[in-house]
Amino acid sequence: MKHNKAQKFGMVIDLDKCTGCGSCMVACMSENNVPFRKDESDKFLSITWMRVYRLTNGKPFPNTDICYLPRPCMQCAGQHEGHSPCVSVCPAIATDYSTETGIVSQIYTRCFGCRYCMASCPYHARYFNWWDPIWPDGMEKYLSPNVSPRMRGVVEKCSFCFHRYQLAKEKAFMEGRRNIEENEYQTACTQACPAGAVTFGDLNNPDHAVYNLVKPDHKHSGRPTNPHAFRLLERLGTNPKVYYLSSRKWVRQVGDNYLKNEAKVKKPVHHG
Amino acid sequence: MSTLDDHSKEIPEDTAGGATAAQSPEEKIKKQDNGPGGPIILFFILGLFASLIVGWIIFPKLLYSQKKQPIDFNHAFHVAEVENGCESCHFFRKDGTFSGAPKLEQCIDCHEEIQGVDPDEIKFVEEYVSKGREVPWLIYSKQPDCVFFSHAAHIKGADMECVACHGHIGESESLKVYEENRITGYSRDIWGKSIGGFKKNTWDRMKMDDCADCHQKNYAIIEKTGVKTPTKRFVDHMIEVVSPGSSISGKGTSVQTERDACFVCHK
Amino acid sequence: MKIGRRGFLSFVIGGAAGTALSPLPWKLTDDSSIWTQMWPWTPVPKDGETSYVNSVCTLCSGGCGITVRKIDERAVKIEGMKGHPINNGGACLLGLSGLQLLYGPTRIKSPLKRTGKRGQGGWEKISWKAAVSEVVEKLGNLRSKSQSHTVGFVSGSDRGTIPRLFERFLTAYGSPNLMRMPSVRDSYELTLHMMQGVQALPGFDFENADFILSLGSGIIDGWGSPVRMFRANSAWQNANVKVIQIEPRLSNTAAKSSKWIPINPGTETALVMGLAHVIIKEYLYDTGFILNYTNGFEDWKRLVMDNYSPDSVAAITGIDSGTIVVLARSFANASRPLAICGRGDGSSPVSLKGCTAVHALNALVGNVNKKGGVWAVSDTDYISWPEIEMDSKAAAGMQHERLDGAGSKKYLFSRYLMNRLPETVNSGAQYPLQALFVSGANPLYTLHDTKSTEKAFDKIPFVVSFSSYMDETAQNADLILPNHVFLERYEDVPAPVGLIQPVIGLAKPVVEPQFNTRHVGDVIIRMAKGLGGSVADAFPWDSYYSCLKETLNDNWETLVDKGFRSDTELMNPTLESSFDTVSGKFEFINPDTGSMPQFKPVSIEGDEKLYPLVLIPYDSIRLANSYIGDPPFAIKTVEDTVLKGKYVFVEINPKTARSAGLHEGQRVLLITPKGKAEVKIHLFEGIMPGIIALPRGLGHTAFDDYLAGKGINFNTLIGTVEDPDSGMDTAWGIRAKLSKV
Repeated sequence: MKHNKAQKFGMVIDLDKCTGCGSCMVACMSENNVPFRKDESDKFLSITWMRVYRLTNGKPFPNTDICYLPRPCMQCAGQHEGHSPCVSVCPAIATDYSTETGIVSQIYTRCFGCRYCMASCPYHARYFNWWDPIWPDGMEKYLSPNVSPRMRGVVEKCSFCFHRYQLAKEKAFMEGRRNIEENEYQTACTQACPAGAVTFGDLNNPDHAVYNLVKPDHKHSGRPTNPHAFRLLERLGTNPKVYYLSSRKWVRQVGDNYLKNEAKVKKPVHHG
Repeated sequence: MSTLDDHSKEIPEDTAGGATAAQSPEEKIKKQDNGPGGPIILFFILGLFASLIVGWIIFPKLLYSQKKQPIDFNHAFHVAEVENGCESCHFFRKDGTFSGAPKLEQCIDCHEEIQGVDPDEIKFVEEYVSKGREVPWLIYSKQPDCVFFSHAAHIKGADMECVACHGHIGESESLKVYEENRITGYSRDIWGKSIGGFKKNTWDRMKMDDCADCHQKNYAIIEKTGVKTPTKRFVDHMIEVVSPGSSISGKGTSVQTERDACFVCHK
Repeated sequence: MKIGRRGFLSFVIGGAAGTALSPLPWKLTDDSSIWTQMWPWTPVPKDGETSYVNSVCTLCSGGCGITVRKIDERAVKIEGMKGHPINNGGACLLGLSGLQLLYGPTRIKSPLKRTGKRGQGGWEKISWKAAVSEVVEKLGNLRSKSQSHTVGFVSGSDRGTIPRLFERFLTAYGSPNLMRMPSVRDSYELTLHMMQGVQALPGFDFENADFILSLGSGIIDGWGSPVRMFRANSAWQNANVKVIQIEPRLSNTAAKSSKWIPINPGTETALVMGLAHVIIKEYLYDTGFILNYTNGFEDWKRLVMDNYSPDSVAAITGIDSGTIVVLARSFANASRPLAICGRGDGSSPVSLKGCTAVHALNALVGNVNKKGGVWAVSDTDYISWPEIEMDSKAAAGMQHERLDGAGSKKYLFSRYLMNRLPETVNSGAQYPLQALFVSGANPLYTLHDTKSTEKAFDKIPFVVSFSSYMDETAQNADLILPNHVFLERYEDVPAPVGLIQPVIGLAKPVVEPQFNTRHVGDVIIRMAKGLGGSVADAFPWDSYYSCLKETLNDNWETLVDKGFRSDTELMNPTLESSFDTVSGKFEFINPDTGSMPQFKPVSIEGDEKLYPLVLIPYDSIRLANSYIGDPPFAIKTVEDTVLKGKYVFVEINPKTARSAGLHEGQRVLLITPKGKAEVKIHLFEGIMPGIIALPRGLGHTAFDDYLAGKGINFNTLIGTVEDPDSGMDTAWGIRAKLSKV
């Protein structure tokens, strides 16, 4: 019996197209029952699974430039598959890496809130529920049953809308299929992006758009052949599954936190 | 502090002294009479049995409140009437999601008018159908919100029978009492009727370990026996369905547990 | 038998052993851990059957199709409708957070009548019957006293059946005072009327243009139909279309453009004239179009050649002449260049001379009414209702001049001048306004010079709001007749302004009305019936639903099913039939007024010596800036360099800040001739020295705790500047100073 190759869901975000409009952030919040509070201006406490960062090139007027960078969970695979920064430190098995999908899960009922994972995540992709979630005055009516609301004292993060994968699989079973099509499993942010800047799919599947956008060049340790492609803080070896595209060099450099007068950059190690 | 200590020491001594003066002879006699083992073991046994009774009999009575379903329902009768077994009423929706307990919409096909003389049916039609109110059924197998359970994966994907988890409820002639856990609010059927957590059948309990047992068993069978076809093909099929891409060597897709990854059953 | 110490101990030990052998501790541990994992107060969303409803979002005038996901009777998610001609699956963050506006705490749950003083928040719930009869009585009294013209109506839009019902009501009742909230559409409509002789909507064929010159338009900051603009912007990226952004601040649009050219604020028209100069001088214009289809070119050419050489324009705009020449050449040499105006999100008009100048520039390169160009789009008129039979009272009322001065001798061609209403009411120069109805608009928040607007509202004895939310205007009303929100009601949605394709959308109820609200269309019909006579006769429908169904006629089924109807067949007007002027040609100079496109500086309020800085607003798609306020999800996306706690940040160039001794995050007092506010400093390299900028859309005083009291409303700091040609408010900024606290 033929075995499927394991899937590796990933995302490619075209920063040239991203306008920083914030649709992805809100699409995510409303898809995933993310709570909100009266004052959300303290961004250390504000829970946004998907957050759009604003980067500037730091040059004086009029040579200033801005680039927006949406940041979901990077679903790091780590140096060997599953050695994600957060998964490897979790003492409660509350966060886990699935070799079936390459997605890092977070089980809220299992989490006891030690926040090691938050400390270990170099992308600030994890958030802690300091308060009970409160939906005022009937607003809990819009809560989706596909994602369980989190309780006070646990960590949460982007799941690549994993419930959509589950639902797509249910539909596939119903129709006697085992595999799901590319368009059957798309994240909420991908769908909502009015600029079409976000592409989502299986990085292992040559039929998927993401594969072709960041097609690995096996002669160069699997780096994408696309010269505009990069990943955040690639040199840490976290091996993220979120790729970015930018035609602007300063953006690509900021993405890997290059030092100002850094000498020739060593080729990042890439795990495919 | 020291004065307080001194003071507090004094009082017990006084009382102790007084007590000894009054009672010690009698007590001594008693102790000699019975020997050191007798009453102490008795007390031990008393305590042991009392707590065993509390733990095994009184505790479950206190833990669960008994709730009656809004109306009674005869599964056996209905199963005989319909053509498609359980799925006639507990059906899959087109998108693969499972409908669970039927809504009025399904019942109304037959029960728009009163069909017979059963008082429960009369109550059903009068109280619910004609008023357009849904019946607030108490769901015995209701899982916590963090659980994602795919009926489609098990029934459609792995060809399992409803009985495997739900037991022979389809053959019952009336609904049993719903016992609600006063602490968690969930049905007793999740933990199982046996307060000790023992089970004989796969449908006796519905805790996470029970899911895991079954999932794990499939891996174990392959590992131990290197089973031959057709069993192997069936198990292969199961693994493939539940978690494509996982290795046949018995490892699941979870990096942490080497079982199935948490997101398979959690949301 | 007495229980001694040892006996007791032995009993306890036995008990402990027995307990350990019983399920009690283990079961309790398990249960209590389940309890702590799932606190009973954490809501558990109810599961059910999933269904989808197609509708149209009406939170702005963008006209996007939406697909709402429902679980049984609950709406749980709004998504962009796939295959919709405007947004094709995309959605903006306001639309995506629409369910918070449906179920949110800011909604008005039943008709309310003011108790106590106006604006103090004292309300009593009344029945719909009582509410409508109160309105009818008031209106009946005014009408019987021949004062029907003293009733005004403010609407967010004037297209579609709802605004047309307002118009119909006012006409049958006898008042000319229907006012639409201002936007750059006013300028464009007037420009098309002045230069092409048509009453039409501007249409921009962005999808086919290959060079975009934007004079401060926030293409991706909310200008036009926002999602359509995002999609166009991505298409430009794919096709390597040049986008040139002209504005003093590095907006998101500027950052995404091919080139950002900073310009002294308020001098955009001078640049346009300079570009025209180069294009004419180098014979880069479309001679065929100019010769055959235009009138007055020679006179305008003389004006341009005499006054707007690159050097003189450079001195005004601060852009060097070389850049101007290069820009002019690349604009003219592109095959389908397109110039657009309207600053920021386009919610403020621009001067008529400025807008005609931009249109003249488009005409120079001949891209009027053709692929990739500016179109005059005649509104698809699907509304054909019977003629209104006016009685003598109505006819007399309609004879009065409009209070806002639109259509008066001074502003003959302007259609609506809502911006002038506060001043007219305050000065009392004309007849007093006795009653004002407000629907789909929040003038007390969105009009410039909030204080003056508030003063005017204080003078109006009877203010009725149809708002679904407790916004600033509703808060200052006497009676609130809450409308259903967009997910609870039927409403036709005409194609958004700027679109060329004729698209009609239909918003339809996704869920049952959540509260005791009523469709504003039904309330208007009730009001008319209550007044009786010829007013009632003008409304032959028994409900808004039947009115709408009858109006949409053959389209009804398609619209209910799909949510929209779009005719791909474009009515491409031939150039011969495009111009309805006396000459039948495109007029560079309006024959009636002699008005010519040119640069006349719009001077802003404030003395340069007292106020050394210039304060301009900026718009962000994340901050809703019109009738709708930001819902909690949207406000959550606002960056902490824009808003922190209750403080908004004013953007300032580090150089300017340094010379004033100001540093990042410092609290300062921002003072303009109109008002002052405490703000924080944000150093931003992307803003021209000497200019400071504040976002619009913050500083609400109404709505709920998730929106109110955050930052300040820009409109409280800015005054109005009336355009002498059109009467529109063309204020683009105000002088300001910062002082340390």
